[in-house]
Amino acid sequence: MQYDMPDFTMNAIQYPDKIAKFSEVLKSVGGVAYLLKDGEDVNEAIKTIYPNAKVIASNCPDISCATLNPDESDDAHQLTGIDLAVVNGELGVAENACVWIPQNVVHKAIYFIAEEMVILLDKNKLVSNMHEAYQQISFSESGFGIFISGPSKTADIEQALVIGAHGVKGLTVILR
Amino acid sequence: MKVGLFIPCYVNALYPEVGIATYKLLLSLSVEVDYPLDQTCCGQPMANGGFEEKALPLAIQFDNLFAKYDYIVAPSASCVSFVKDNYPPIMERNNHLSQSGKKIYEICEFLHDILKVEKLSGHFPHKVSVHNSCHGLRELKLSAASELNIPYYSKIKTLLSLVEGVEITEPQKIDECCGFGGMYSIEEQAVSVCMGQDKVKNHISTGASYITGADSSCLMHMQGIIQRDKLPIKLIHVVEILAAGL
Amino acid sequence: MSTRHSKAGEAFLKDKEHASWHNESLWFVREKRDKVSKDIPEWEELRELSSRIKMHTVSHLDTYLEQFTKNAEANGVIVHWATDASEHNEIVYGILHKNNVKKLVKSKSMLTEECHLNPYLIEMGIDVIESDLGERILQLMDLAPSHIVLPAIHIKRQQVGELFEEKLGTEKGNSDPTYLTRAARKHLRNEFLTADAGMTGANFAIAATGDIVVCTNEGNADMGTSLPNLHIVSMGLEKVIPDLQSLAVFTRLLARSATGQPVTTYTSHFRKPRKGGELHVVIVDNGRSKVLRNKDHVKTLNCIRCGACMNTCPVYRRTGGYSYTYFIPGPIGINLGMLKSPADYYDNVSACSLCFSCNNVCPSKIDLGQQIYKWRQDLDNLHVADPTKKLISGGLKFLFTKPALYNTSLKMAPVVNIMPRFMLYNGLNEWGKGRELPVFAKESFTELWKKWKVK
Repeated sequence: MQYDMPDFTMNAIQYPDKIAKFSEVLKSVGGVAYLLKDGEDVNEAIKTIYPNAKVIASNCPDISCATLNPDESDDAHQLTGIDLAVVNGELGVAENACVWIPQNVVHKAIYFIAEEMVILLDKNKLVSNMHEAYQQISFSESGFGIFISGPSKTADIEQALVIGAHGVKGLTVILR
Repeated sequence: MKVGLFIPCYVNALYPEVGIATYKLLLSLSVEVDYPLDQTCCGQPMANGGFEEKALPLAIQFDNLFAKYDYIVAPSASCVSFVKDNYPPIMERNNHLSQSGKKIYEICEFLHDILKVEKLSGHFPHKVSVHNSCHGLRELKLSAASELNIPYYSKIKTLLSLVEGVEITEPQKIDECCGFGGMYSIEEQAVSVCMGQDKVKNHISTGASYITGADSSCLMHMQGIIQRDKLPIKLIHVVEILAAGL
Repeated sequence: MSTRHSKAGEAFLKDKEHASWHNESLWFVREKRDKVSKDIPEWEELRELSSRIKMHTVSHLDTYLEQFTKNAEANGVIVHWATDASEHNEIVYGILHKNNVKKLVKSKSMLTEECHLNPYLIEMGIDVIESDLGERILQLMDLAPSHIVLPAIHIKRQQVGELFEEKLGTEKGNSDPTYLTRAARKHLRNEFLTADAGMTGANFAIAATGDIVVCTNEGNADMGTSLPNLHIVSMGLEKVIPDLQSLAVFTRLLARSATGQPVTTYTSHFRKPRKGGELHVVIVDNGRSKVLRNKDHVKTLNCIRCGACMNTCPVYRRTGGYSYTYFIPGPIGINLGMLKSPADYYDNVSACSLCFSCNNVCPSKIDLGQQIYKWRQDLDNLHVADPTKKLISGGLKFLFTKPALYNTSLKMAPVVNIMPRFMLYNGLNEWGKGRELPVFAKESFTELWKKWKVK
């Protein structure tokens, strides 16, 4: 039996206030959305949110609070002991708080190996749902891309939710 | 319209009052009802046990027996869904065209969809917990199944609300299976009883005095547990409540 | 009348407290699924689309697999084909051996479970570390998963506490899930850093782009494939889907159906090997292509392995994964086991009351209940039908095709009501073990009707 591909005009859910929905969902999955105020310095914001972070890794040129550039490591295995990673995201999805990151670092381990992470995202680059997201995302040369929604987690022990499994233990998306 | 009454085998033998209530209710709604005497069973027990071919002669017999009626009505959701959904493929495989499948209705379905009943004269001043039997729910769509994201409706509750004095509730795990399942109740005895005990417990927690549903098979299974464990709740088929006072 | 499932189920239920806890744990996951599904007004439309995309893809599977392979290979991915489990294992070992791999870190893959990969590799001298927390716990306990998504759902925190005390040196008596998870993080972090290769399954393979997509919450699949430079993917051939627009449908359904989350934390697209590394994809048949020609059961290939059917199944919840003889339990497991080997797995076919709740939660709208009903019809032809059931069914047929005999039986049946209790309730009477027998009415409906008509 041969079946045709279904016609795909999907009237998927739309959120009039995508920032609000994104923030609400991100909170529910253990993350934090931080809306940068007009004129607020992103480095100051990061230092306020993570006052105890000593080793801050980022390859973003405007992140002056970084103490190391992970791209300069020869080997991903050297990226241990990082308190906070700061990376750039490309697109956010309101329905599930996903942020699309086409690999924009030399070692993708940086997205997972730090204790906590900040993803910087342009607040105008939010879509409502995954259909819109997959229509718009792009890949980088590396061929790796990832949707990240909140910090890593598990409920494998008696269905008790624990935030922070093998990836980051905490995630903040700074919308600017 | 001429209605042929189908009284399932176990209703016939164990709960004739359900048949009587069905008959009286239809009469009171000015329906011409007849009961063809040579009816026996729809064949579902054998089919669910893995021997649906043994239901073939029953299906043919059924079609012949009810050929002259416009509608077939039965106080059993599981039997009706078996005739509706399973007779056609069983018969087609053996070069027969099923006639009964198109015109058979469970009693609540018939009252709600065909007669479109809006008034009932009965009085039943008790709190009842509605048992949403699986076949009635997920095959005949008597109510909206809890798994689905669809607008809520319940034909059973709509009809019950027409009876004066009835207080309607539903249990936690509103449409979880009671565990009867035909021969499943014997082959997987321990799980079947556990499911029944859990279901009865949930019904009792509503504070209702009666469990009511459209399937005597579920009620029979729960009754067995209630009697063994001496539990404080009674059972009654929905049609008996709808026919209260007749 | 009993099967291996019914006996194992009965044994599971003997520990009433544990069985009840297991039941409620899984019901809780079903409730979470219900809640998030109601957040999406187009939920039923998504399910319908998912079903139709899968049916289209499966009915053009060769085309899509060819397209996937062409695109993946153009991206530098090495694609292998395995007819069966042993070929899969040999291919995987071959890759590891060629690359001098001593330690392999794995993320969850039911396909590797199906192929019994771990024991094979361990025998060949490779250290295999499961990195999903649930799988790692089970590996250390030398147990199999009991659910395809929540593998350790049947294990209590105290058991994990005691296990970690012994194997990881955690505090005695501490069974706090956060404490234990942190201990596992530290232990597995070391394994990720010292592994020579990483292995994952594939939730989806995208034909149009050659992507392998892996959906996880823990970050273990990504840790395991971001440190060692060799990544091997094990994939069933039914995992391929046409394009990214199709993927959008599935990513909206998968986590919501599986755990009641809007999405998994990570949805990773692997399109090319890492710089200086290798990415291998082993596409496995192991009986799947045979299912393509089985019109009654081809819809099982729609399965996206979410586990929702298990969470809702009243039988699975009360008997647990180990009561089933196939490594995948619950409604989908009953069907997959029968497709694999009816002679070995027919015991599971009894594990169903035909309630059809599974049909309603399946994101790909597989007719799981109807397929189990169909397998029941096949048991006799396969010579594994229960003889008592056959006898009863034959007896019922005889009785019901003879109206005169039936009516006489109805008249005589009430005599059962007055039989002594010891005759009715004994070891032969399964119904009577937990329930009272129903009472035959003094006069059946037929009798009553005749009386009135006679009046």
